[in-house]
Amino acid sequence: MWIYDRKLQYPVKIKNPNATYAKIIISQLGGPDGELAASMRYLHQRYSMPYGEVVGILTDVGTEELAHLEMIAAILYQLTKGLSPEEIKRAGLDTYFVDHTSGIYPIAASGVPFDMKYVGVKGDIIADLNEDLAAEQKARVTYDNILRLVDDPDVRDPIKYLRQRELVHYQRFGDALRIAQDNLDCKNFYAINPSFDK
Amino acid sequence: MNTYEKDKLLKKIQEEDFSLYETVLYLDTHPNNSAALAFYKQRKESVASLKREYQQKFGPLTIYGNEDCSHWNWVNKPWPWEKEAN
Repeated sequence: MWIYDRKLQYPVKIKNPNATYAKIIISQLGGPDGELAASMRYLHQRYSMPYGEVVGILTDVGTEELAHLEMIAAILYQLTKGLSPEEIKRAGLDTYFVDHTSGIYPIAASGVPFDMKYVGVKGDIIADLNEDLAAEQKARVTYDNILRLVDDPDVRDPIKYLRQRELVHYQRFGDALRIAQDNLDCKNFYAINPSFDK
Repeated sequence: MNTYEKDKLLKKIQEEDFSLYETVLYLDTHPNNSAALAFYKQRKESVASLKREYQQKFGPLTIYGNEDCSHWNWVNKPWPWEKEAN
């Protein structure tokens, strides 16, 4: 089970609301490489992982991603607080506003709602860990792109922190893949699926 | 390891933790209820002491509970969804 810690993992304090920034950053809430997809991916992959170290890293990274989901929501909340209808219209956030007002709803920047199709659970340690390595890099690219589009240092600071975490997670999933391969048949990693074949 | 004692202690923690959680939900909508607050205080202390005992004997329940200085027992089997842990 889970317990909620009443703090952000890293502080978010944005002085100036900005609907244009909110419109792009929302992709890290409900987009294909966003934090919700990340958490769901890792937490659901755990059940078919045969090695404790790998279950451990999936549990702890999957939990940290929920904290990142909350940080992105905090960024969106502060970026959209107190906006006028004119500002919302000018930024093109009106198509979101009409359905969700200033609520935080997980969609991609393109407007597509969050979809579990973004989450891969193959039930195979090699396939799933490679998916995770790719996912961390894709999230890193999304943060790089956000940093190309956002000038406000109040917004850039937590985004930079989140980008850095993608790199750390990538390193740890690399360790996990090495541990998996050390446990598998060194002549043929694909000889058996240890979570299924006996 | 005494699995009978481990199972018994875990069941006790699950029971007390559940009653604590139930109290928390009640307090969320009744933040001034003094009887609920007194029950919360008593339960929270009892849960904390049970968890302390469990973690010293059988390993961590959260990432803050690894008492073994020579090994990170967090990654040990069984995981909570396995039959052996229930």
